[in-house]
Amino acid sequence: MRVEGFGQVADQLRRSTVQVGLGGRGLGSGIIVDQDGAIVTNAHVAGHAPLSVHLWDGSSFPARVQARSTRRDLAVLRIPTTHLTPVTMANSDDVRVGELVIAVGNPFGFVGAVTTGIVHAIGRRPGLGPTRWIQADVQLAPGNSGGPLADARGRVIGVNTLVAGGLGLAVPANAVARLLAGDFAQAPLGVVVQPASVRVEGAERLGLAIIEVVEGGAAEFASLRAGDVLVGVDGRPLRTLDDLEGALESGGERVLRLQFLRDDPSRLRTVSVRLGVPQAAVA
Amino acid sequence: MQSALASLSNDLAKLVEEFQADVVAVHARPHYPSSGVQWRPGIIVTADHTLRQEEDIQVTLPSGKRASATLAGRDAGTDIALLKVEGLAPPAQRGGEAEPAQAGELALVLGRSPDSGPNASLGVISAVSGPWRTWRGGRLEHYIRLDATLFPNSSGGAVIDCRGRLLGIATSGLSRIAGLAIPASSVNRVADALLEKGRVPRGYLGIGVQPVLIPDALRTKLPVPNQNGIMVVSVEAAGPAERAGVLLGDVFVSLADTSLEHIEDLQSFSDSGVIGKQVTAKIIRAGALRELAITVGERPR
Repeated sequence: MRVEGFGQVADQLRRSTVQVGLGGRGLGSGIIVDQDGAIVTNAHVAGHAPLSVHLWDGSSFPARVQARSTRRDLAVLRIPTTHLTPVTMANSDDVRVGELVIAVGNPFGFVGAVTTGIVHAIGRRPGLGPTRWIQADVQLAPGNSGGPLADARGRVIGVNTLVAGGLGLAVPANAVARLLAGDFAQAPLGVVVQPASVRVEGAERLGLAIIEVVEGGAAEFASLRAGDVLVGVDGRPLRTLDDLEGALESGGERVLRLQFLRDDPSRLRTVSVRLGVPQAAVA
Repeated sequence: MQSALASLSNDLAKLVEEFQADVVAVHARPHYPSSGVQWRPGIIVTADHTLRQEEDIQVTLPSGKRASATLAGRDAGTDIALLKVEGLAPPAQRGGEAEPAQAGELALVLGRSPDSGPNASLGVISAVSGPWRTWRGGRLEHYIRLDATLFPNSSGGAVIDCRGRLLGIATSGLSRIAGLAIPASSVNRVADALLEKGRVPRGYLGIGVQPVLIPDALRTKLPVPNQNGIMVVSVEAAGPAERAGVLLGDVFVSLADTSLEHIEDLQSFSDSGVIGKQVTAKIIRAGALRELAITVGERPR
């Protein structure tokens, strides 16, 4: 009887694990999720530019951030190549405490390092809010962030994200699937923004300057245009980059009132944007 | 065909599912709850060192609900405490006498946290000792040394082997080097004593002692085989030794036919089994050998 140890599972996973870097410096790891160049990693790994992705075979590519969820600390990158070997994602709701797991990544600059353990717990971590984590007793280090946590069959059950209390915490694979299934070719609002500092009513504030309005998106329909600077959501000033994303992530069909500046910096304007409406319904 | 790895993974997860119904979280200290195992119907065994309070103890049940628990007894020496709890289905696994565990076998430590439910840690049994006295003065039939990681919440948790036997209770409080499992045999013995008396009685002589070297000339003259003896440096008022006539300065060379050369040689007299027994003490007093009869008492609380 052929017995597959972790060695074979590790080998497979390594081929689908990448190193995410900034110039020559490694920032973390990433997971190949489709053969046409989609890479999943942590948002905190992808928070720099310009990013490069290094594959197992030694090749390297520039990477573009396609989607981010700062709340779940996930990001989707795109690299300009095809015929990659993606991982198989498991249904993370089926993961059970006690199962054997394996983590692959690039800790301390080692490429394709492997650590194994078992699922210690699944759920909240005290002090880290209400989010669900897959908690495993694997030895993670900086550089593992963004890499895969897989089960005994080599299917990815989570993205290694941080270390707490001697355990490795991973964002469950189902959260990744939701990010990937979301229309990440365009954000729910349909804008590409850049943070900017603006003066509103005499005070310095955070603004999000619209660089591009995606065609057919909710923002275009609400007549927002490139050059507009978003400064508030539903009457509340934007204080952090997450505020807008948080408001957008609430999901469902609804109306969002955005405060913005256009041309005249002394005039605060408001627009109502309808979110969650399928494209076909937009005439 | 499932690989051996996937098969093992599945077996581990199934063990967790099976045993978690008898594992609770114990809230008896600030910050980190510990764990406990329902050993007999309505009786939870936990690690004594994790109880910082004796009143208002609560447990988190497998259902996620909290319940009140009352302290039924505690023994610091063996790091075992018993809690009485209502609302648990009777335990599936009886804390029976398992055959001794073997070094090298896989062991799973199963605890519970109120935030995330059951939690598990995997390792091997590093070693199984013979009869052992803990640094807290208690006696264990043996200890099981584990190489599984014990987290703050793990003490009091169940230690299970991969055959599905409940080996004992996990604790980080009996060794600085490794996590240990208090074996089922010790848990049963201590549980019986705690349920009957609320505590494990300790034998007691009522003396403070220090080892001394017996001069060669005296050894030859008396004669005694000992190189060392145990000298009495304090006698407790109304204690068993004082009542037997022990005086300051007496040097014990044997007690109940046990030669006394080191302080540890006295430890077997703190077992509950000798309480009430009369033992013959051979002592050196003023250069001569004498015999005294001491009735071992029970250590006052």
